[in-house]
Amino acid sequence: MTNRRNNLIILGLVVVLIGVAAYLIFVRQPVAEATRLGLDLEGGVSANLQGYKTNGEEVTRDEMDVAAGVIRQRVDSLGVTEPEIQIQGDDQVVVNIPGITDADRAVEVIGRTAQLGFYEVLATAGGQPVPEDEIEDTKESLQDELEGDPTFEEGETRILFEESPAPDGSGTIVQGYVVPDEPELTGEALDSAVQSQDQAGRREVQMELTSEGGEGFGDLSQQIVDNALANGTPGGGRLAVVLDEDVVSAPVVDEPIYGGQVVIQNQGSPGGLPQEEAEELEVVLQTGALPVNMEILSVSSIGPTLGADSLRSGLLAALVGFGLVLVFLVIIYRVLGLIADLALIIYAFLLWGLIVAIPITMTLPGIAGIVLSIGVAADANVVIFERIKEEVRRGKTPRTAVGIGYQKGFTAIVDGNLATLITAFILFALASGSVRGFAVLLVVGVILSMFTAVVVTRALLGLISGRGFHLSAPMMGVSKKSLEEGRPARAGKAGTEARR
Amino acid sequence: MVALKNIDFVGRWRIWFAVSGVFLLICVGAIALGGFNPGIDFTGGSAFTASGVQGSPSTAEVRDALPGDLGDRSIVQSVGEDGYEVRTPVLSEEGYTDAEVRQALEEELGAEVSVTSISPTFGGQIRTQALQAVAAALAIIVLFISVRFEFSFAMAAMVALIHDIFITMGFYALVGREVNLVTVVAVLTVLGYSLYDTIIIFDRIRENAPEAGYNRQRYEELANNSIRQVVMRSIYTSVCTLIPVVALLIFGESTLSDFAFALLVGIGAGTYSSIFIAAPVLCLYKAWRAGRVGSGKGRAAQSASS
Repeated sequence: MTNRRNNLIILGLVVVLIGVAAYLIFVRQPVAEATRLGLDLEGGVSANLQGYKTNGEEVTRDEMDVAAGVIRQRVDSLGVTEPEIQIQGDDQVVVNIPGITDADRAVEVIGRTAQLGFYEVLATAGGQPVPEDEIEDTKESLQDELEGDPTFEEGETRILFEESPAPDGSGTIVQGYVVPDEPELTGEALDSAVQSQDQAGRREVQMELTSEGGEGFGDLSQQIVDNALANGTPGGGRLAVVLDEDVVSAPVVDEPIYGGQVVIQNQGSPGGLPQEEAEELEVVLQTGALPVNMEILSVSSIGPTLGADSLRSGLLAALVGFGLVLVFLVIIYRVLGLIADLALIIYAFLLWGLIVAIPITMTLPGIAGIVLSIGVAADANVVIFERIKEEVRRGKTPRTAVGIGYQKGFTAIVDGNLATLITAFILFALASGSVRGFAVLLVVGVILSMFTAVVVTRALLGLISGRGFHLSAPMMGVSKKSLEEGRPARAGKAGTEARR
Repeated sequence: MVALKNIDFVGRWRIWFAVSGVFLLICVGAIALGGFNPGIDFTGGSAFTASGVQGSPSTAEVRDALPGDLGDRSIVQSVGEDGYEVRTPVLSEEGYTDAEVRQALEEELGAEVSVTSISPTFGGQIRTQALQAVAAALAIIVLFISVRFEFSFAMAAMVALIHDIFITMGFYALVGREVNLVTVVAVLTVLGYSLYDTIIIFDRIRENAPEAGYNRQRYEELANNSIRQVVMRSIYTSVCTLIPVVALLIFGESTLSDFAFALLVGIGAGTYSSIFIAAPVLCLYKAWRAGRVGSGKGRAAQSASS
């Protein structure tokens, strides 16, 4: 009687769980929105970036946290929904942005260090427009020229370049500058950055400096004016505004500037800065610099069509596989198979509920994990049922056989599933991104399957046999012939036991 | 069924090992002859996937659509009914960007093109991680079986697992399928699966084995009986797992079908090795160890147990 009560409690629990799962999947939100889809199924851009420092120091976790925060702000400013930014390991960050396909632009915005620096220009060279394919050669010859300049000192100064389109459209103007190794002012002086237009309607980006930054900027401009005077070129000193390793502008400073506004502009073109560049500058300046440099490890952009195709084919494969397993179990185990099928269906539904509840992002490898876990879930029943059949062949009554089957089968299932769990944990610990999705689903699936395939089927079987339903050997898929064959085997087994 | 009952699984180990040996020889040969086709996950590079291609262009036409001489150094494959996959070397080293190549392909094919690009640094990292994962899995499995069973079982399971890894990788080399991160995941999954199969058999041997005393003939008979008792289960389980795997192979698109292919081979090899490799190795190892301990001791244990 207690057995029967236990079985009822277990089945009651299953009903409650199914209810909760049904609520989570169907009621809480429209069912189409219940499952969170990964980028490979929904379409979007995913990038994996690795932080590094130019001086070779180790990147710390704190710096990666700051970097992830900055990246989040930048992604948000792209105006996309539900981006996902995760730090992985010590120095990697994974950025997932659903719904966009322009990976190059997104990565440009996300991965740009945006280290702003203001320098006094010590020497300049170049300034002639050159065709596109000669830019690199020009830079090399300017580099040689400037290294010969008396102001250049290895370790104390460095050479930076500015590229800007020639006003008459005849190519690109390349200029080289010798500047001190360290900037006088950095991005910390910046308060905000905003796109605007000058009087001629040219697009530019205005940077507002903090009050401290404004003072520092004033001092720097004063210093440039003084030095120019001392060098005998009054009014000829220049200031370089540098973003990362590129000079964005190098205006001539003929008087000290206090007030704290600096403008990045492109007077060479009638529209000013190209729109995309202006937007990008605004975003990266406004959100501030990343504390480390970012190397792009991998980028993928999945189109929505490909994503939908993958989802459809994955679901089709999962459903067909699932259906065939159900049929197979009934063919082999008859009534027992029906019970296993019921447990499998409960399993699949509860798994869906768990995926929605946790929530686990569904990815392509995740679907593979689910499909595999269907096999594992069915297998637990195969192990137990084979044992039951074996006991029946040895002449045990079906009822006793069921008891022994569960008891003896259980250790084998636990050991076997532990093995699967071990590999899943290793996958999770060592792999990244999409592979983790597979590992998580495998773990969740294996644990859940132990519940449904062992506990639930046992309760179901216990309940129907308690109801006076008589399970005969043929109902379990044990043929008469094998029943007779099994008898001698029983004697052998008994012999072994006696020897023990 | 009757035939299965009469097979001497342990005694005829020479036959089973020879069958595996032939397969292994072919597989190792294929691997040694450079049959591996590493994907961009390991080497770095870009993969472009076009779906819904208009007016079925030929691979040569797709190749021509690529800028410069990139077409000659890229792998172009048709995928499914109206898809194409193009794998290029690392584009930044060639002086191109992903966007350029993607636009070129989109114009030629009139279809949506998805891109995945992986830097060579990351490819190296993934390679290291993959090898670490497999090594860690094997080490922890030995430990796990040693604890749950005994060391000799762990040894036997290990031989079976390494057998499965070589067969799976060898088949990849043979058919020239792309080896990528998904393959590694599949191999690890196969490890877990094959181990499960082996454990079910070992569990039965453990259950049937007498508490004390070792006698080669009796132990081998016992192992044979244990396998006979669970062999149908092994086959049914494999079928249960292979059904959805075959469904993935048939219906899944490239990633899923790659995964399914590795599983199909691996689970096949795993089922064979659990029955025909793991148990015989266990028996041979036990016999070898008993012989090494010294016949005197062995006889003493034998007489004590009877």
